Amino acid sequence: MSIQLEGKIERKGFGPGTWALVTTDGETYELRKAPTDLQKDGLNVKVSGQIRDDVMTFAMVGPVLEVEQFEIRD
Amino acid sequence: MKRFLLLVLFLVGLGWALTTYPGLATQGTYNSIILDFREDVGAAQIESQLEAIAQQHLVSPRYNSEFSLDDHIFVVKGDQSLLKKLQQSPLRKLTEYIEPNYIYSKYAIPNDPEYGKQWNFRSINVEQAWDETKGKDITVAVIDTGISPVPDLENTKFAAGYDFVNDQAEAKDDNGHGTHVAGTIAQSTNNSFGVAGIAYEASLMPLKVLSAEGGGTVADIAEAIRFAADHEADVINMSLGGGGESSLMKEAIAYAHSKNVVVVAAAGNSGRNAAEYPARYPYVIGVSALDAAGNKTPYSNYGAGIDISAPGGLISGEDKAGGILQNTVNPLTGESVFEAYQGTSMAAPHVAGVAALVKAMGVEHPDEVEEAIKQSAFPVKDDNLNEYGAGRLNAAEAVKVAGRGKFSFKDFFRWLRDNGYLNPRFWFDGGIIALWPKVLMVLGSYLLAWFLKHYFPFAWTWSMATGLVMGSSGLFFLRGLYIYDAPQWPFRLMGSSIPELGTAIQATGLLNPFFASVLIPLALIALLLGHSQLKWFAIGTTIGVSVCLAVSAVMDPALMWLGDGAIARIFLAGNALLCLALARLVLKPEGRIAS
Repeated sequence: MSIQLEGKIERKGFGPGTWALVTTDGETYELRKAPTDLQKDGLNVKVSGQIRDDVMTFAMVGPVLEVEQFEIRD
Repeated sequence: MKRFLLLVLFLVGLGWALTTYPGLATQGTYNSIILDFREDVGAAQIESQLEAIAQQHLVSPRYNSEFSLDDHIFVVKGDQSLLKKLQQSPLRKLTEYIEPNYIYSKYAIPNDPEYGKQWNFRSINVEQAWDETKGKDITVAVIDTGISPVPDLENTKFAAGYDFVNDQAEAKDDNGHGTHVAGTIAQSTNNSFGVAGIAYEASLMPLKVLSAEGGGTVADIAEAIRFAADHEADVINMSLGGGGESSLMKEAIAYAHSKNVVVVAAAGNSGRNAAEYPARYPYVIGVSALDAAGNKTPYSNYGAGIDISAPGGLISGEDKAGGILQNTVNPLTGESVFEAYQGTSMAAPHVAGVAALVKAMGVEHPDEVEEAIKQSAFPVKDDNLNEYGAGRLNAAEAVKVAGRGKFSFKDFFRWLRDNGYLNPRFWFDGGIIALWPKVLMVLGSYLLAWFLKHYFPFAWTWSMATGLVMGSSGLFFLRGLYIYDAPQWPFRLMGSSIPELGTAIQATGLLNPFFASVLIPLALIALLLGHSQLKWFAIGTTIGVSVCLAVSAVMDPALMWLGDGAIARIFLAGNALLCLALARLVLKPEGRIAS
């Protein structure tokens, strides 16, 4: 099931770092296979994708979101 | 019932006494013995005694220093057997004491030039631990992004690993995370280069399950755990987490545990109240992260699943001094770099490294390794949110506890672990949620009894209290008790309150409407009303059942055949009121008599 989220892209400093989406209501999602266009700190975006419950990461900042589509709002 | 309660209390007390017994003071090493002659013994007598010792034991007593002549203090070379002989000889009467001349050594500081920046190692007292062991002959599997042979792993031994991402034997790191984690565990130390590692004489087994991007599947990770267990790893470090509960992974961990592998995992970095999987599975030591001041870092998860805390570092802005420094690779260029990272990912390998040291001291069973680590931790007071688990990691003390060979409570603990196992899910994962209704039921029933007592005075009795507990919550902690090879239902049955009895054997979590109703209290009162003591048990039970049903009606109205909707709620609430009315009815004449 695909979910839609809005928020800001943040670089999280765990290990060599990871890309995350912090939604407008403050939830943090770790982006899996973040498209290059999304890899920019502070970007306001609308993203849709799948929550990957079968994936673990070293960043462990929140649920893993595999991005399917996105829209840059800036 | 009373006897049973007393037995339970006795066992709890015994457990407490055994766990807090400090044991005998640890002994140092010595190769000479101090003799302190009494002040009133003359010089000539001392001389003749020393000559006798010299001839008898072929040793040459000497003054400890030029100042010790006046104090009558002499030193002879000798070990434990000579000490014993001297202490039993006639010399005993002429001396104030005869005791070992303990050697106090300054702990060796490694010559790695950047060691001074590793505040994290000093905060876990690793230098003193190195006096005992450096993890020789122990293998630590690092389930991560792989390990690259960076220069400061030059002297570190490796065991054959596997790359589950690319399905190949070589498991190099294309991210930097795994090599860093491996460095904390076993960076080459005393090699006049770079930084140090905790168990630097142990071997590293690289198991790559996370891609260059930092994610990996539960299936690969579970396979890696089994690979480690089958290839004689002693410790597994998993600085990773996320996702949901997986039986595949849970079974892999239980398999590793059955093969005596200690499993350590990071708590997670989302700052929330519960560790991530795999840290929260049974048999896994979940680690939260500390900053340089020893406080829990804001990013670290806490609460359920945290067993201990260890340095994970905290980096603010460009100043990386608060991070954990190790040698790793730059993911962009593949070149060797010394980099400070932060995260519970960095905290877990501290515990894995210390677990390797404890194992190297000869402690084999993973539960005993875990206990040595927990028992030796620096305790943290008033840790209501369980941010620190057993406390802050203390390598020196963990190794010392391991060296004692047995823990003061070992026998009791063995008994608990081998025969009965307190399921951590009960106390942690499910426990926190399931515990509150139970507490509410007990407190509520006492409160209600107290309230009724106000209007219809009666005396508190054991039968009354027993009835209140049996009616409301039961001895609920027994429901979490598991004994291998024995059926668990007797514990569920003994641990059930009367309304729960109807489904205790099936363990469905639903209530049976015949048991969860006014029927049993009514029958008990009808049967026992004539008995002066047991009557109070019946009344207590009625009050207890009333509160149990009321709490269930509000919080979790799930009934067999009636579902968990409005019908169940009305049924439970109605029966709670009937029980209350019944208690009131019985108490009313009693109150009049008493007043």
